[in-house]
Amino acid sequence: MSGLAHYLEDEGLATVIVALVREHIVSMRPPRALWIPFELGRPFGAPGNADLQRRVLRTALALLDKPATGPLLEEFSEEVPAGDDPDWYFPGTLDNTDVLAEAASIKPIWQIARERLARTTVGISGLAPEVAVEYIERFHSADPLPNPRGMAPVSRARFAVDDIKAFYFEAALAQGGHPSTLQLHEWFWNETLAGVLLREFQERARVSDDKNLRLIASSLVPAERCHWFLHGLESP
Amino acid sequence: MVRLADIPEPERTVIADLNCPHYADTPPTTPLAAAQRHVAIVSTAGFIVRGERPMLSSETGYRAIAATVDDGDILCSHVSTNFDRTGFQQDLNVMLPRDRLRELQQQAVIGKAADTHYAFMGATSPEKLEDKARELGRSMLALGVNTVVLAPV
Repeated sequence: MSGLAHYLEDEGLATVIVALVREHIVSMRPPRALWIPFELGRPFGAPGNADLQRRVLRTALALLDKPATGPLLEEFSEEVPAGDDPDWYFPGTLDNTDVLAEAASIKPIWQIARERLARTTVGISGLAPEVAVEYIERFHSADPLPNPRGMAPVSRARFAVDDIKAFYFEAALAQGGHPSTLQLHEWFWNETLAGVLLREFQERARVSDDKNLRLIASSLVPAERCHWFLHGLESP
Repeated sequence: MVRLADIPEPERTVIADLNCPHYADTPPTTPLAAAQRHVAIVSTAGFIVRGERPMLSSETGYRAIAATVDDGDILCSHVSTNFDRTGFQQDLNVMLPRDRLRELQQQAVIGKAADTHYAFMGATSPEKLEDKARELGRSMLALGVNTVVLAPV
């Protein structure tokens, strides 16, 4: 990101970075940066908090009004309250017969979430979400699901995993609430068969003879989850 | 809230030990007055428009997200699984605050929100992005954009 700032400024554009990792900004010295102490993946704050998002953006743009002869780094003064939502729970009952039955039981809840959120981020694999689950479930079987044209099988698998996670996490938000990221991940990775499926798929990818599968292994399960599972650790 | 010390291992060490390239200080471009600022957002979330080929790891190109693209057709193809996506799943503006930017235009905090925003794939060596970044810069200037908010994930 800081590299982009150097190149764009050199082309004649005024830039400001909303920066998540302060240490990288200090090292790479872009012309203007606002460091925000938010969670990775949330550079403009919290979902549904338009006021906070606006303040981040206004504060970042205000750096353009400050005289700068060298790199300008300021810190955003607000933080997002941390902590779990004690009232949040998964809004439905999962069919735990097997992972395909679980996915089928998730779908009507996800459809409610889709209406509530007025959008979905599922779809990057090009597969319907329950088909994405089946694609991964049968990937290493003697009878894999056919891969539609347009994407290599391993790439399809990587993006199917992204879709499965989005499918479940969106469903988990069907009734709103403010669950923390940790709270949602605890639920998904520890309480769903899809979480088990993805952990097992990641492990098989990690030791696969297929170089391409090994390459995507680190893009499937969050690194800290792999670490905790591997060492039998509880999440903090 | 997360500071480097709050990021769980092993990701914390990966981020802390990342070998950032050295850049000489770039003389800052003189910003225009607020009313003349035509602002685009450039993200490194690997955004694509639904139906496009997802961006691949270390891809050096960029994608354009036109104002006419519905929020529901903006997908994240970033290679890393080590950042939160549940905020984005609830609210696009957590990563790509294009609604907030339009509001700032309406409030005359800026002159104009760009009609198009852009996305690169993060977790790519910055030097490998130089050619496409400069190309995008020239393209934005040709469209009248003079100010860029850079948004990581």
